[in-house]
Parts: sequence; C-alpha cells; structure tokens
Amino acid sequence: MIHAPFDPVTLAVPFFVLAVILEIALARFRVTPSNYETRDTMASLSMGFGSQIAGLLTAGAAFAATIWVWEHRIFTVPFTAWWGWVAIFFLEDLTYYWFHRLSHERRFWWAAHVNHHSSQHYNLSTALRQTWTGGVSGTWALWLPLAFFGFSPAQIAIQKGISLVYQFWIHTEAIKRMPAWFEAVFNTPSHHRVHHARNPRYLDRNYAGILIIWDRMFGTFQPELDEEKCRYGIVKNLGDFNVLRAAFHEWIGIGKDLLSARSPREVAGYLFGPPGWSPDGSRETSATLRAQWEAERKAG
Amino acid sequence: MQTAGSAVAVGVLIAFAAWAKIAKPMSPLTDARARALMAEEFPGRPIDALWVATDGAGALARSGAAALVLCEVGDGYVARHIPWAQAVASSFRDGVLRLDLSDVAAPAARLAFDAWPPLGAEVEAANTKPAKGRKTAS
Repeated sequence: MIHAPFDPVTLAVPFFVLAVILEIALARFRVTPSNYETRDTMASLSMGFGSQIAGLLTAGAAFAATIWVWEHRIFTVPFTAWWGWVAIFFLEDLTYYWFHRLSHERRFWWAAHVNHHSSQHYNLSTALRQTWTGGVSGTWALWLPLAFFGFSPAQIAIQKGISLVYQFWIHTEAIKRMPAWFEAVFNTPSHHRVHHARNPRYLDRNYAGILIIWDRMFGTFQPELDEEKCRYGIVKNLGDFNVLRAAFHEWIGIGKDLLSARSPREVAGYLFGPPGWSPDGSRETSATLRAQWEAERKAG
Repeated sequence: MQTAGSAVAVGVLIAFAAWAKIAKPMSPLTDARARALMAEEFPGRPIDALWVATDGAGALARSGAAALVLCEVGDGYVARHIPWAQAVASSFRDGVLRLDLSDVAAPAARLAFDAWPPLGAEVEAANTKPAKGRKTAS
C-alpha cells in the first residue's frame, strides 16, 4: 500500500487544540503549574502552522524516494499483518531515536531541529513548535531502510504519525510522574522535560520518541531529579520571539562560520561537528559544558 | 480548508493564552537575583562588579576582560558575554545602553542605566562619565 488510508496527525488535531485549552484552563485556575507567555505561544503555534506549509515543499521528494526504495525492497511486509505493526512500532521508534540523537549532536541537523527547543517554556504549545527546515536537511532518508526491508510507504507514514501524536502529550509540566512501570518503558513528561532542559546535567539526554528503553540501552538516559529543576530553552537563548529568527538562526550561523573557514577540516567541523564546535575550541559544546559542570561539582 | 481551520485554531489558542495571563511572574531584578541568574548562565565566571538596570529588566557584570549581559525577554532572560572594552564603548543615549551582542540569535541588548560607562572603567573616551546605576562589587 502506497497511500495511507488515514493520517494520525490530522485526526489528532482536534485533540491537540482541546488539550492546549485544557492545559491553559487548569493553569489559569491554579490546578496545575503550567506557564504560557503570549508571544512565546504565538511563536510556537506559528511555527507549527508554518511547518505544515514548509513540509509540503519537500514531502513530494521524500515520498517519491520512499516509493522508489520500496519498489526495490528485499521483503514484503503485508499491511494487514499484526506482526508487521509490532515490528514497525519498534523499528520506527529505534529510527526516531537515532534521528533525534543526530539532530542534537551534529550541527547541520541541529540547525533544523533547534527551533523546537528555542522556547523557554515547556507546555503543549511547545510540542507544536515544529521545524521548517527538517525536509531540506534530509533526515527523512533515515526512514528509507524501513521501506527497503518491505514496510510500505503507507505503514511507515502511519507509524511516524502515531509517534508524533504520542510525543505531543509529553510536553507538559502538568503531569509530574507516571506510574513507575510506565516511566521505565515509555517516554513521559518527566523524561522529556529533561530533554528540553538546558542545565548541563540534562544536555543531550533522553532522545526517545515513544519508548525510553533506547536511551537506557545506548547510555543517554537521565532521570529528572527533584533537586535540579529543569531550566528550559537552548544554551544561548533567542533574543526575541521572531519566528524567522527561531527557524533560521542556526543556518545563518553556519553560513557565517563557513565564510570564515580556512580549511576543509574547518568546513567539516562547522557543518557536522557538534553544535558549538570551533577550530580553537573557544566555543562551548554540550560536552564541554557538561565537563565544566562535572569539574565544579567535584571541586565542591 | 484544513489550512484555514488551522489558522483559526492558532488564533483562538493565542487569544485564550493571552486571556489566561499565566506567564511566569516577573519582578524587577535585585542584586541577589541578578547574581543568581549570572551564576546559572555563566558558571565558573567570577563577578568583579555588577550593575542592575534601573528598571530591573536586566543586568551587566564585569568578569575579568568580559562583560556578562543579562536581558529580560518576555518572562525569561537571554544571556551573552562580550568583551568588556566593547561594552564600555557601547552607545549610551537617553538612559539606554545599546549593546551589540554579535549573535544572530540575539543581535542586541538594551539596558537602562542612569549613566554609562561605569566609574573606573579603563577607557580613553573623552566623554567618560561615572555610572549612577545600582552597583555592587563582589
């Protein structure tokens, strides 16, 4: 099957809207501790709206590539086979983990993803602060192996949609902790708060989509600690609420750095090094910030 | 149709968020609060002197050869460091210091002071005046 019979994200839009209204209402009446700043909310929701438009520009190419790979598949997974859905649930989520890790640890893909982290708030509107440049950064290619193994383009699209819908509800401070068994297996508001935090201890942790097991397996898991409250945003927060700045600032930064590069090594470092990489090490990366924090902690 | 519906929903949600007035509570910075924020934003950098903006919407600190800048944005703060000499030489007009942060993510900061640059700054500018802002030395 090539075309998905339904789109989980489209079906979930009314739920998104009602959930945001509920979160705001609960905070308004002091039932839960969420915060919404109007200009920040406007930026987040505008980025979500814009990402739908921007996505159309590259959706055709991504879809065509997926079909081409699927036509050269090595197996065929029947769309109606239950085991196929179990398999794609795990394989798609594993793909998402590595996509997400790449999007944080290599600057070229961070440039496309940074806008999602650029809010100093953590609420359901932040979940909708989606990328405008993810398509052109080419990360959709990471899902092509699923088509090569025989999962149909429709099945891949549906599972990606399910993952995106799942990840919406975890962008909240309204839920403190889920039951222990759930926290052990699934990505939760608590785990994802850590992911959005800019405290050195929390940087580059909890890349999970639906299952937190991948972070536990690959050594990137960090539980939320009561003694260290999450500070949200990016290491160098934005100076205003301009959505164009949020969408493109890192790309512009890359362009400026490339213009100053003096060797192929510097070009490669500025493009594919960790965010914050510089030839002389004068800028801060997540690793240096974490090391500095560790040293200070040990020094007392 | 779907796009138009999404646009309407975005408008409704923004209006609802504005009505709720649930931004983080912000009060003018005190010296202690500014120091705490500076410690979070610039860990390991000692503060030689600190000036809190007269409206409490930011602060500037000297840390060796660097100026640590903290500026209110919405209900949060943005922080950057620039060379101290650059901060001292920055444009000061009508009680507002305009700092070029040389960063596309946060190009500039504006801090309100009674006067700038501060007393004792090592500048040779002929129009140097002592600062009258709230200063504390560590």
